[in-house]
Amino acid sequence: MRDTENYLDSAAGLSQRSSTLNLRVRKRFDSLSAFELEVSASVNPGIAIVFGPSGAGKTTLLECIAGLLTPNSGRISIADRLLFDSERKVDVDVRCRKIGYVFQDLALFPHLTVKKNIEYGIRNLPKSVREQKVEAIADSFRIGALANRKPAKISGGERQRVALARAIVTDPWVLLLDEPLAALDQRTKNKIIDDLRAWNSVNRIPVLYVTHSREEVFALGERVLLLEAGRIIAEGTPNDVMPRS
Amino acid sequence: MDWQSLWLTTRLASLVAAILFVIALPIAYWITYSRWRLKFLAEAVVALPIVLPPTVLGFYLLVALGPRSPLGHLWQSLTGHSLAFTFQGLVIGSVIYSLPFAVQPFAASFAAVDSRLIAASATLGASKLRTFFEIILPLSVSGIVAGVVLAFAHTLGEFGVVLMIGGNIPGVTRTVSIEIYDQVQALDYSSAGVTALVLLAISFGLLSLLYALNRKLLAVWLWK
Repeated sequence: MRDTENYLDSAAGLSQRSSTLNLRVRKRFDSLSAFELEVSASVNPGIAIVFGPSGAGKTTLLECIAGLLTPNSGRISIADRLLFDSERKVDVDVRCRKIGYVFQDLALFPHLTVKKNIEYGIRNLPKSVREQKVEAIADSFRIGALANRKPAKISGGERQRVALARAIVTDPWVLLLDEPLAALDQRTKNKIIDDLRAWNSVNRIPVLYVTHSREEVFALGERVLLLEAGRIIAEGTPNDVMPRS
Repeated sequence: MDWQSLWLTTRLASLVAAILFVIALPIAYWITYSRWRLKFLAEAVVALPIVLPPTVLGFYLLVALGPRSPLGHLWQSLTGHSLAFTFQGLVIGSVIYSLPFAVQPFAASFAAVDSRLIAASATLGASKLRTFFEIILPLSVSGIVAGVVLAFAHTLGEFGVVLMIGGNIPGVTRTVSIEIYDQVQALDYSSAGVTALVLLAISFGLLSLLYALNRKLLAVWLWK
């Protein structure tokens, strides 16, 4: 019991940390259509939108930060943690980066229940802590009643919530969301956006949210990075940088 | 019908399927996920028993298991008898002969697992071993079942390799297919017909079970 209390205290401390994601990334794909991503940015705690057309390099950028792709050169750090540095030959393994990632197609494990999906990333914690955390996150994303169902047996909006809960429950240092609401109707999108904003107002970590929906940019973004052909061409508030349409 | 040869064949096929289940998993995993440039050479070696005449494979195995080979010599010094023309030799030969029938369905089912699930598992901090046992393996269950059943069924009906490395020793290396051959040689067509029918029924039953089980397994696994 004492372990549980200690863990929750330290987890609360972690969730209140304030850290900036600094990145300078160059990734080149020679074998494809010679695409090159070259991005430098600092992302403060809060939700930053990466907006751009298909093929702009949005997912590539997220995959470089997560460690799923290795940049050709650059440096990625979060607070004082160095994740990647081509000059110093540092490349922290994806498993150790503590970065939450919600994939475009969600990538929920189809053979595991909602509960098992959510607790997958915190299996190393004591059982009582694990259950407490899963229950708390499931309640805050209003999916507590679905605990024993498989992903195929829940709606699209519920699956999005499960994917968010699964990434967030690990207390990540950075949260990467790759068009997580793309396939949803506006009403469901708004509800999930409200939940995400509420969560982020308490847990101030850098969140990079990839989208090509203008509505999501204005609903969520405190800051927008406008990405085109692998380069950031503008950054600022949605009102400042969003192209008029 | 010689029940002794049927029992020996069943024992051999079960043992080979069990051994292949264990050794074909890492081989299939490596074939699926390795980025080694010369991987195709290893794939070709694993697939060789499919295209090689059983007598050719049997000949090489006979040489490799004989007392003059390092393996055969080591075996003889440890056990006091040769590997050739023994049940143990038959098991080793059958494992090699049926290897592609287990490795290929395993590898195909591993390759069919969505790479995003493997990436998701990694971002959640899971080791490669944990990802294999908790994500890849459960989602490959139909390919695993197929590989094990095919390895069993293939061993059940093997003839050329058995004859080359096992000979025809009743109770030791005389399998059902060798028995059918013997019966035909002796012009005992009625006995050969019965034995062949038993082998046909077992093979048909196994394959039917495989297809039925795979549908059921997938349904329960993903949708329940």
